[in-house]
Amino acid sequence: MIDIIDLRKIYRMGDVEVRALDGVSLDIAKGEFLGIMGASGSGKTTLLHMLGLLDEPSSGQIIIDGTDVGKFSDYEKTMFRLYKLGYVFQDYALVPDLTVMENVSLPAMLRRDRDDEQIKKDSFHILQQIGLCDRRDHLPRELSGGQQQRVSIARAIVNKPDILFADEPCANLDTENSRMVLDLFREINEEMQQTIVMVSHEDWHKEYFHRIVRLKDGKVVSDGFNGSGKHA
Amino acid sequence: MGKKELKVAFLLALRSLQRGSRSSVVLTVLIIAMCFANMVFLPGLFNGIGQSITKQVVDYEIGNVLVTPKSGDKYVMDLDATLDLINGMPGVERATPHLSKGATLKYRQRMLGVSVRAISPNDEKYVSPLYTKMVAGSYLGDGDTGEVIIGKPVAGDATIKEEDEFQASLGGVRVGDSITIEFANGYTRDYRIKGIYSTGWSSADNTVYVTMSDMQLVEGKPVDYADYITVKTKPGYSEKFVKDELQQYGVSQKVQTTADLMAKSMGKALQSFAIINMVSLIVGIIITSVVLFIVITIKTLNSRRQIGILKAIGVDKEVIMHNYGFQVIIMAVMGIFFGILLTSLMAVYLTAHPIVTPEWSATLYLTPMDYITNSLILFLASIVAGYVPAYQVSREDIQSAMRA
Repeated sequence: MIDIIDLRKIYRMGDVEVRALDGVSLDIAKGEFLGIMGASGSGKTTLLHMLGLLDEPSSGQIIIDGTDVGKFSDYEKTMFRLYKLGYVFQDYALVPDLTVMENVSLPAMLRRDRDDEQIKKDSFHILQQIGLCDRRDHLPRELSGGQQQRVSIARAIVNKPDILFADEPCANLDTENSRMVLDLFREINEEMQQTIVMVSHEDWHKEYFHRIVRLKDGKVVSDGFNGSGKHA
Repeated sequence: MGKKELKVAFLLALRSLQRGSRSSVVLTVLIIAMCFANMVFLPGLFNGIGQSITKQVVDYEIGNVLVTPKSGDKYVMDLDATLDLINGMPGVERATPHLSKGATLKYRQRMLGVSVRAISPNDEKYVSPLYTKMVAGSYLGDGDTGEVIIGKPVAGDATIKEEDEFQASLGGVRVGDSITIEFANGYTRDYRIKGIYSTGWSSADNTVYVTMSDMQLVEGKPVDYADYITVKTKPGYSEKFVKDELQQYGVSQKVQTTADLMAKSMGKALQSFAIINMVSLIVGIIITSVVLFIVITIKTLNSRRQIGILKAIGVDKEVIMHNYGFQVIIMAVMGIFFGILLTSLMAVYLTAHPIVTPEWSATLYLTPMDYITNSLILFLASIVAGYVPAYQVSREDIQSAMRA
C-alpha cells in the first residue's frame, strides 16, 4: 500500500546539516497497524509528516497505492489528504469554535461525493461509535483531553480514509485515557481493516501494534512484527 | 472554488465570529461604523449647509427663478405687464417684485443704515415664508402705508448697551413704536413698526420691508419697475422648465434659475467643500483599511497553527482564505449597517436641532446615493484590507504554520 524508497530529509541550521531522515525504506501493507518508535529527535514525526504529505522529502520516493505522491501539485496533495488520509495530532488540533459534531463533519463537508444527509449520518454514527454522541453540541473546551482526542479520531476517520496517521496521540493523556484511545485505534483497525501509522515513544504502546519500526538518527534500526499481532 | 468550499468557508467564518472573541468583533464593527460615520458626516454636513443656504436664498432672496433687468437696464421695466405675463405661464405659482432702496433709520439717538425693500405683501406670501416668521406684531398688508416690518437684529434689544452689541441696531424698538426713515433721495418719513420678524437668514433679517404702495410715495411717482422679480414654481415643475417657458414666451429680461445663480455665487465654496469631502473620504478609507488589515493580520497570526491543521486535514487554502474574507465581509456589513443607523439618527437629531450660526443653520443632508456610494467604497476597502493578510497566511506551508 505504501512504498517508501530511500527517503531523506535534510535540514540546514546555519552551517550545520541535520539529517532528520537518512535513507529510510519501508513497505506498509493495507490493514497494518504500524508503530513508529524511537527516541526524541530520531525522525519519527518527520517520517510521519512525509507519509502524510505534510512535508516534502529532500530526496526519495513515497508511493501510495502505486502513485508517486511526490509528483503531486499543492492542490492535488490537499485533495489526496482530504480523500485518502486521516490525521490525529498530539494536541487534538480541533477547531475551537466548532462543536464536536461540526469538527467531525468538517472534512466530510468538503468532499464532493457526500451530501448533507450522508455527512450527518456518518458523523452521528462515528460519534456513537466513540461514545460521544451526547456531547455532539459541546465545544472542544468543554471536553476532557481524552474526549477531545476521541473527537479528533472521529474527525480523522469520518471520510473513511485509506490510511490513518497518528502523531503521538497519547502524549497529553493519562494512562487511562491513553488506553481508551489506543483501544479505539485497535477497534477501528480490526473492524474496518483501517491502515494505521502511529508514532509513539511509550514502550507499553507496543502491545497494540502489529509491526514496530524503530528509528535512530533518521535511520531504521529495527523493523519487526509484534508477537501478538496478526501479521506476526 | 465550488459551492461546498464556500459553504465551509462561510461556516468557519460565522462560527469564529459567533464563538471567538466577542469583544474583538464588537470593537471592529464599531470601528467600521465610526469610519462610515466619519466618511459621511462631514460631506453630509457640508451638503446640509449648502442646502440650508440654498433654501434660504430661495425663500428670502431669489425664489426658484429670478428675472433681472436686461443688460444695460437698471430696472425690470413695464412691471405690471411683465408680472401678468409671468403669472400666466404654466408652472408658475406666483411672481413678485422686489425694489430696494438705501436708507437711514433713526430711533431716539440711534441711527442705522439699512436696505429698505418694497414688496407686494400678498404675492410675497406665495413666494417667501417671511410672513410665517413674525416674532411680534403682524405681517404687512397690500394697502399698508406708513408701516414697516423689521428684522429682529435691526430692532435690537433694549437690555443690551449700544457698546456691547454684536451688530448695530435701533436699541430695542417694539411693535407700535415709530421710527424715522430717511431715504437716499432725501425722502424722510416716520413709520410705525407693524411687526418684527426673524428668519435666521442674515441678509433678510437686516432688511426693512415696506409695501410697494409706500415705495411709490418714496419715489414720488407710480412704481412700474423693480430691481428684480422672484418667481416661485408650482410643485412638479422644474426651475429649468419655467426658465425655458419664460424665455420662450417673450420675457425679454434676464432669466436665471436658482441653480444657475448658486453655481456662480457658491461655485468656489462648493469646490472647497468637495475637496474637503474627498480628503475626509480618503482618510476614512485609509483608517478603515489599516484597522481591518491589523485586525485580520493579528487574527491570522494567532491562528497559524490552526490554519496549518486545517490544511493538514485537507481543507484547501482557498477555503481558509475565504474564511477570513467572509469574516471581514460580515464585520464590514455589520459595521456599515451600524454606521448607516448611527448617521441616520444623527441626521434625524440635527433636523430637529440644526447647528445654528449667525449665517446659516445646518442639518445633516444625506441622500440614499450618499449611503450607497460610501457603503460600497468602505465595503470594497474592507475586503481588500481583509483578504491581503488572509491570502498571505493561506499560502504559508503546513510545516511552518503548524510549528507556530
